[in-house]
Amino acid sequence: MIEKMKNPKVFVPLGLLLLLGLAPFIIPDSEYEQTVLIACMLLAIMASGWNLISGLAGYVSLGHSVYLGIGMYTGAILGQAWGIAPMYLMPVGGLVAAIVAALLGAIVLRARSHSFVIISIAALWTIQLLAQIAKPITGGADGLVIRPPSWAKEFGPTPYFYIFFGILCLTILLARFVMNSRLGAGLVAIRNDEGKAAAIGINTTLYKITAYSLSAIPFGVAGAVYGQYLSFVNPLGAFGILASVTLVLAALSGGRGTLWGPVIGGFIIALANEFATVTSSGASARVFILGIILILVVMFLPAGLLPTVSEKWAKHRNRNVAVKFIDQTSIASSTSRVDTAAIQSRAVIEQIEGKNLLEVHDIRKSFGGIKAVDGVSLGIKRGSITGLIGPNGSGKTTLFNCMTGVYTPDSGSVLLGGEDITGHKVWTRAHGGLGRTFQITRLFRSMTVLDNLVAPLERTSPREMAAGRYSGEEVSRAREVLAFMGLQEFEKQKGSDLSFGQQKLVELAQVLMLRPSIVLLDEPASGINPTLIGKLSDVIRSLNDQGTTFLIVEHNIPLVLSLCTEVHVLSGGRVLTSGTPEEIRNDPQVIEAYLGPDANLEVPVD
Amino acid sequence: MLILQVLVYAVLIGGIYALLASGVTLIFGVLDVVNVAQGAFLVFSALLTWQIWTWTGIEPLLLIPVMGVLLGAIGWAIYRGMLVRVIPQGPGMTVLLMFGVALTIEGILNLVFGNKFKSVSPDYFTDSLKFGGLVFPMPQLLAGGMAILVLLGLYSYLRLSWAGKALRASSQNADGAALVGISAKKAAGYAFAIGAGVAGVGGVLLAIMYPIFPATHYEWIARLLGVVVLGGFGSIPGAALAALLLGTMEAFATTFIPQWAPIFFYGTILLILVFRPQGLMGVKTREDVA
Repeated sequence: MIEKMKNPKVFVPLGLLLLLGLAPFIIPDSEYEQTVLIACMLLAIMASGWNLISGLAGYVSLGHSVYLGIGMYTGAILGQAWGIAPMYLMPVGGLVAAIVAALLGAIVLRARSHSFVIISIAALWTIQLLAQIAKPITGGADGLVIRPPSWAKEFGPTPYFYIFFGILCLTILLARFVMNSRLGAGLVAIRNDEGKAAAIGINTTLYKITAYSLSAIPFGVAGAVYGQYLSFVNPLGAFGILASVTLVLAALSGGRGTLWGPVIGGFIIALANEFATVTSSGASARVFILGIILILVVMFLPAGLLPTVSEKWAKHRNRNVAVKFIDQTSIASSTSRVDTAAIQSRAVIEQIEGKNLLEVHDIRKSFGGIKAVDGVSLGIKRGSITGLIGPNGSGKTTLFNCMTGVYTPDSGSVLLGGEDITGHKVWTRAHGGLGRTFQITRLFRSMTVLDNLVAPLERTSPREMAAGRYSGEEVSRAREVLAFMGLQEFEKQKGSDLSFGQQKLVELAQVLMLRPSIVLLDEPASGINPTLIGKLSDVIRSLNDQGTTFLIVEHNIPLVLSLCTEVHVLSGGRVLTSGTPEEIRNDPQVIEAYLGPDANLEVPVD
Repeated sequence: MLILQVLVYAVLIGGIYALLASGVTLIFGVLDVVNVAQGAFLVFSALLTWQIWTWTGIEPLLLIPVMGVLLGAIGWAIYRGMLVRVIPQGPGMTVLLMFGVALTIEGILNLVFGNKFKSVSPDYFTDSLKFGGLVFPMPQLLAGGMAILVLLGLYSYLRLSWAGKALRASSQNADGAALVGISAKKAAGYAFAIGAGVAGVGGVLLAIMYPIFPATHYEWIARLLGVVVLGGFGSIPGAALAALLLGTMEAFATTFIPQWAPIFFYGTILLILVFRPQGLMGVKTREDVA
């Protein structure tokens, strides 16, 4: 603990926060200063809340101040109806904001990148318009007047100062909690690569909606008291696009995705805002200055102040530390030393009846006029290593994507262990025992190898999502899998620092974390060197010996023919033929249609 | 008769919306950038038109080429100076950058022109043509007609000229276009210039039809995004069709339920992006060959 306190990353912000809490005592006659600090804290609260969905999961919301407005109206309307001051309704404000966000999130989070940004603005405008139209409840364009409690005059802004201070502290705790949880790891995985996150078993919809809903809570809580502090609420003030942009700018300039960045940014931007108001003739200059700062931050400081500074600091401190060199050949040789029993797949444990583990029946999938897959039926035998080959455009990848759930086939069905999984989500299939790798590796580049492995959850109960990132048996299991693959040296390396071949191995390790009964490999050998291909074959054989079934899509024919027990050949979206490697090698139809008349299918002899 | 009259307005306004939205959709198609500053470009052009008209009394429609070229040049400069650096950071950041540009323009216009409505009113401002019992107000007729002409010109230019084909090639596959000698950067700069130039032309037309003040750029960008989203990002014919549809709905709503008029645009954005993200005429692409 004392060791921890020496870390400037911990005690500097905490010290500053303490100083802030004492500000009303330190500064004499501080009424003006307190109102400025309240504006700073409000912006910091909003920027930290926004950070949960937009910083962690990468979904940039440009209309997030809508939840502040919802909190303000909740406090004003219910306060009036129940005859109490809106500040006592802070929890209700947070709850209403969270519920609205969960409902809205279920709709708007279906859209990605461009669409999400536009939708978030459109939602803000729509709600602003509704507040103007629903005059009997909201008071229309004039809004509602909130009468402050009788004690308010006596104490000045100080009670509000401490309320906002409390909300800020709670928001920081919430952000810290989310970032250190499995939920946080999953959100960062989504920001890195949403499709891949789903493929390794992350229920991306649930994660996003949870984060979106959580991010609205600080807004709703702060809104309820903010309306009372201003003593009125109207549609233009509560649902202004400018407030939304300001809070995005605050999070951006401080450093999105970090704990303290949005807080620091909130103070900087609110102070700049105050400075512009004091020194110039009002709103026009503020809009201008806001615009210029936004342009400058996006262009020159896109990562934000805090990450940029701490990176410089880390470089400065580490300038004499040599980077450890890790030899690739050590990977290739280390497998056999590890006890492979730890990697046991569920296929050994579960004995389900039936010969075929994975079956597809009459799958069809068209893109416009092109029939990419045109009625394919085939079965993958339990315990086999099955190959799927065919020329470019024969429908391999599309069939693969229909099996894994990236596409829904136009017709036909997919069965896993006898169960129809045609309509199942990608992550449900992953948890059901169907794992996959990608042709071009899709590791989470900004996360460490270990984080890459522990990101998925087996169960998505609230308790599991709230659990610490490095707790539980997942971590020890991740280390076992890494050891099995000979990758233990790389545990703390970032995904983006690995070579392509190493990334392929880590990707396979990710899949193994799910204890798959069948693993679908999409061109595992493409783009990696022969030593690693040999290593990969060893890993596949050794997992297969323990009962894991494999389906391999591959262009390296000698590898397929040496590794597989059965091979299916696709051509023009249909199954051309199936058989043992021996039969495929000698099938003139295959040689003619797929490889051309001069092809050589002999396995090279060492 | 009232309904027919409203339809006349709808077509004229729809023509203007179509022209304005074509700039946004073109920029998106080639650059993959949602230009939220397009509304600010428009208002900038309209207020400049007002200023020149106040000083010289010149026929405002003559300023169309001037504003087109001027805004085109500004757009090109914004692309080369700022956007080109930000595009690699992804769509979220480019939207924020263009929002920053929009706010900066709004701030400057506020400081220069103040927060008052300005409108250009040449002699024919209150004239109208009467035809078969229908009224065609002169400003709407001229602006709507001009918008449709410019849009047709732009569309055939993009369809027929080599430069237009290069732009379309680049918008469909930038790497492939580069292989056959089309510089993606040049194509993008050119597309952004044309898109901004369209806003320059549109600003002149707006100036003679509507009173303008700086903060109206939010209303305009909301309308344009509604049109572009409904038409399908990147499709000019889609934008034209969507503009007519939304123009018609807005014209009827303004006549019968005025306070609800804007909801068609916001509501359209929400519904379309959620349930048919590719819009009316956009294309759904294969994800695995991106």
